[in-house]
Amino acid sequence: MSCKSSKDEFIQIGEAPASWKSLAELRSGLRPTAEFPGGLPGEGQARPANTRRDFLSLMGFSLAAAGLAGCRAPVQYAVPTVAGTDQLIPGVANFYATTCGGCPSSCSLLVKQRDGRPIKIEGNAQSTLFGGGTCATGQATVLSLYDGERLRGPLWKGKPATWQEIDQRVGESLRAAQGSGRAIVLLSGTITSPSTREMIAEWRKRYPNFRHVVYDAVSYDAMRAANLEGFGRAVIPHYAFDGARVIVGMEADFLGTWLSPVEFARQYAQSRRPERGFALHVQFESGLSVTGSNADVRVPVAPSELGAVAVALLRRIAAKAGVAGVPEGPEPAVEARKLDDVAEQLWRHRGASLVVSGVQDQSMQLVVNALNAFLGNIGTTVDLALPSLQRAGDGQAMAALVDQMHRGEIHTLLLHGVNPGYDYVDSARFLAGMEKVALAVSFSDRRDETSSRAGAICPDHHFLEAWGDAEPVESHFSLAQPVIAPLFDTRAMQDSLLNWSGSDTGYYTWLREYWRKNLFPRQKEAPDFDAFWDRSLEAGVVTLAPAGPPGTPPFHGAWAAAAGAIVEARRQALAARRDDRYEVKLYESVALRDGRHANNPWLQELPDPITKVTWGNFAAVSPQLARKLGLTEGDVVSLRAAQAQLQLPVAIQPGQEGRTISVALGYGRKLVGKAGQDVGVNAYPLMATRDVTLQKTGRRDELASTQTHFSMEGRPIALETTLEELHQPEEAPEAAATLWAARPEGEHSWGMAIDMNACTGCSACVIACQAENNVPVVGKDQVRRTRIMHWMRIDHYYSGAEENPASVHQPMMCVHCGNAPCETVCPVLATTTSSEGLNQQVYNRCIGTRYCANNCPYKVRRFNFYNYTQNPDFDFNMESPLGRMVLNPDVVVRSRGVMEKCSLCVQRIQWAKNSALQGKRELADGDIRTACQQACPSEAIVFGDLKNPASRASQLHRNRRFYRVLEELGTRPNVGHLKKVRNPLETA
Amino acid sequence: MRLRFIAAGILALGLGTGLVAWQLSRVGIHQGYAPVQPIAFPHKVHAGDYKIPCLYCHYAARTSRHAGIPPESVCMNCHSLLEKQTAEIEKLLEAVEQRRPIRWIKIHNLPDFVYFNHSQHVLSGVACQRCHGPIEQMDRVAQASPLTMGWCLDCHREEAHLAATGVERSLAALTQRPKPAAGLDCASCHY
Repeated sequence: MSCKSSKDEFIQIGEAPASWKSLAELRSGLRPTAEFPGGLPGEGQARPANTRRDFLSLMGFSLAAAGLAGCRAPVQYAVPTVAGTDQLIPGVANFYATTCGGCPSSCSLLVKQRDGRPIKIEGNAQSTLFGGGTCATGQATVLSLYDGERLRGPLWKGKPATWQEIDQRVGESLRAAQGSGRAIVLLSGTITSPSTREMIAEWRKRYPNFRHVVYDAVSYDAMRAANLEGFGRAVIPHYAFDGARVIVGMEADFLGTWLSPVEFARQYAQSRRPERGFALHVQFESGLSVTGSNADVRVPVAPSELGAVAVALLRRIAAKAGVAGVPEGPEPAVEARKLDDVAEQLWRHRGASLVVSGVQDQSMQLVVNALNAFLGNIGTTVDLALPSLQRAGDGQAMAALVDQMHRGEIHTLLLHGVNPGYDYVDSARFLAGMEKVALAVSFSDRRDETSSRAGAICPDHHFLEAWGDAEPVESHFSLAQPVIAPLFDTRAMQDSLLNWSGSDTGYYTWLREYWRKNLFPRQKEAPDFDAFWDRSLEAGVVTLAPAGPPGTPPFHGAWAAAAGAIVEARRQALAARRDDRYEVKLYESVALRDGRHANNPWLQELPDPITKVTWGNFAAVSPQLARKLGLTEGDVVSLRAAQAQLQLPVAIQPGQEGRTISVALGYGRKLVGKAGQDVGVNAYPLMATRDVTLQKTGRRDELASTQTHFSMEGRPIALETTLEELHQPEEAPEAAATLWAARPEGEHSWGMAIDMNACTGCSACVIACQAENNVPVVGKDQVRRTRIMHWMRIDHYYSGAEENPASVHQPMMCVHCGNAPCETVCPVLATTTSSEGLNQQVYNRCIGTRYCANNCPYKVRRFNFYNYTQNPDFDFNMESPLGRMVLNPDVVVRSRGVMEKCSLCVQRIQWAKNSALQGKRELADGDIRTACQQACPSEAIVFGDLKNPASRASQLHRNRRFYRVLEELGTRPNVGHLKKVRNPLETA
Repeated sequence: MRLRFIAAGILALGLGTGLVAWQLSRVGIHQGYAPVQPIAFPHKVHAGDYKIPCLYCHYAARTSRHAGIPPESVCMNCHSLLEKQTAEIEKLLEAVEQRRPIRWIKIHNLPDFVYFNHSQHVLSGVACQRCHGPIEQMDRVAQASPLTMGWCLDCHREEAHLAATGVERSLAALTQRPKPAAGLDCASCHY
């Protein structure tokens, strides 16, 4: 089934490979890939008499001659500051701890600031929750700071205004509201900042008619309601995947987007090291998610069947626990044997197992709570004493608010961090309600679907410009500090709130006072507040002893009734099932999440971890369904429900549940900015429905997918091994013969080991690499022509049957061959191997023959087909002076006609060497961390000196699972991978 | 007679080509570039006569890739105490008064595709004069070195105890190579 490590697996053309990337490859076997996907220029055209080439060759000499005479470099200036500071030395990067504002998960960050500009986001290794990792969205938030669509200042009725005018008018409105008997409402996303929450509580005291409504586009409120019923607290538990030996996920993409993916990916990787304990992971889900692709056992289940799966598991666990009362009902359409085995494993590891579900249904969440309670997981892997505060949205309160708006009961509406005009299920109704509000004030940073209808826009800072704090998990605090002065005339939302409530303090003072009153007394280390503040600000994170008494209330939810409700709902669903109706599953995509970052071109061009589709969403259908309906990839279909209808292209997704169509949220923004406008289709209107009909439209829209960009030509590339194989004695590997002479060696030999077992495919490394190395965005059309520029890609290989294949995610970049095939074909020596084992690409020497890319067996070289910094056709970020502020000054921006590829972050190697020189010490292992390694939440990537036998990279190179991709070609790569291992579901 | 013409033609063509080739090889080299600065700051007085250490003003050279032009506040460390006034010092005081940065003209310019780090060289004990010439004798600073890659490598090879010329190189190939002190890899400077 899977591809084993033997080397005699070369497969003939036409034969189906053991692991595959596309269905075409699986069904009709291998075909040689077209070398020039776009066709050769001039192919099939008559050659014109005078070609551009003739003209150029004629012009060449005269231009050179004319150019020589006038050769003069432009005058450059060096302008120092008026007053110097030891905090800011040109060319020296500073790192500041802050908190991510990309989503309410509120990860702790270190931000690299060069010459006053934040240019790179990194994780804060001091955080006990998140470690040093980040996610792709977090990495990309730095680009949103330099988004040209951000408002330059406040707007009143769509026209630029001053803050004084705004303050006066909003003040008038608030006073009028008090007299009117109508309400003032702050509608916000989840606010994890405790100081801001206190400020809102103060508003409640000052304005009796003030209310705060929390709205998350993708809500978790069923879970909060279930926990209120079951444990007496409307919270979301804090999960410990690292303490679990058996993990069962039910439609919860906890490694991709669910709740706190950075934290969970870190915990997950820790619990799944084949050399140590190896947790079993079972996932029940409809569409293939990042989490499902990592599961040992993945069971495709339609959304309507998930409840039945939970009840079936509950029935088995309750029987083992000796609890009666689980209602009878038909079993789900899942092998009973499999459910028995899962239940057996859960029971065997009770107290160290974990069941999570992302289904937005209170009964389902109650059943999951009951499962965890019967298994004794409450207090071990499910922590309700110190719960997560990362999602607090309340869908009922939001629905009530919309009704009140329509009844004219709302006078002043303040909108912060929300965009219901786009992402509310009935956005038109919300916007119509806004018309009946006396004054709507938005804190949005741009004119979007909602703020453009508001009376005033008071643009909030980007989080990198603002003070703040966060408490993602109770008693775990994180501070945020500005790393750049506000670029535009913006003002923090908190400053606006303070101003409008008549306070003359600023938010910074408020924040400090909050910490002085509430956090400082709870700690013992720092003697005075200033020391505590400075220390917290430097570290970025503070973990305090719990404020309240410990202990979790016992589970007392009406689980039997909930299970009964599920059984009944399923019975009705089965009765109503029709053959031409399909279930729709909406999910947050890893790149765009709920859509707030839609104008970020890095995220738009990030290949989806599963389908590798960029620039747009699609309807994922199963291969069976596609065959039945005669659909091919790229056919535009119309999904129709009672309330909404949307048209989008089809992607045929192996592993997709047969009757379910998955559609990503976050696309189809109507007002967001140049990059994100009208990319994909808005799927939020389908939020309230489950069943849709599907019709072909006859149109086609070719997906910009990178999945089939490079064929592995049937060679074993992503290898797997089994736990048994690992425990067998090792055979001595035979040394491969080489025709090459040994090269002179330098002081170091840089190398890398990538653990495919730890890699979840989350793609944080891809964006980290893009940010670090000034990789351009090329746009949808160029991606279709296989011209994506990412130096780092994550290949997704399938193995097994198309109905439910196993997946491997393989991060792939230049593997820095000792005997590099690219080197031997370069006519100008633009690519050579350094004395330290790096395959170095010298851009100024490259003449763009592209021979190297053709000869590279790993297909990691990228060619600059255009001058992306100066071509208005590529108006993403590098084309504008504002967007260019994100560029890393230590890495040259490549021009047209030049080949480029991964340099193993040579600028970081140089920087670390220089830091060692400045500190008068030797380089230590771990001093150099490449951008991809730094970003990885699961520590799958390890860089180091292979000459130092004690370095972590060297140790991993000696690991039993280590192999070098295509080693048999004799390329001697310095970057190798560790084979994927799966934990088989043992039968009882 | 005809042969002589042809010979002269070939010679002229050869000379012409040589001249063009020589010119071409000098493209982008600005050795001797000495622009007039907004304030005629004499390095001769500061670094030469008063022997102020280079790193007092260009303090960033120890820690940064850029040596840095000192902020006006550094000038005023001394000039706020000195009584002597000249027309040039007046310009400085005026700029400080108006809190206006001075637009110095950058003399030593490297192309974007080269990474050069001052601190690495300063900490390795390379004297400033090695690249910048006798700066303490200059009234107006001129670019003393060609700043070409060959010129960089001459020094790097020397520091690496590697032979610079062809003969030396073939001799050195016979003997053992010591550990290079200065980078000779392309990726030491190009990335």
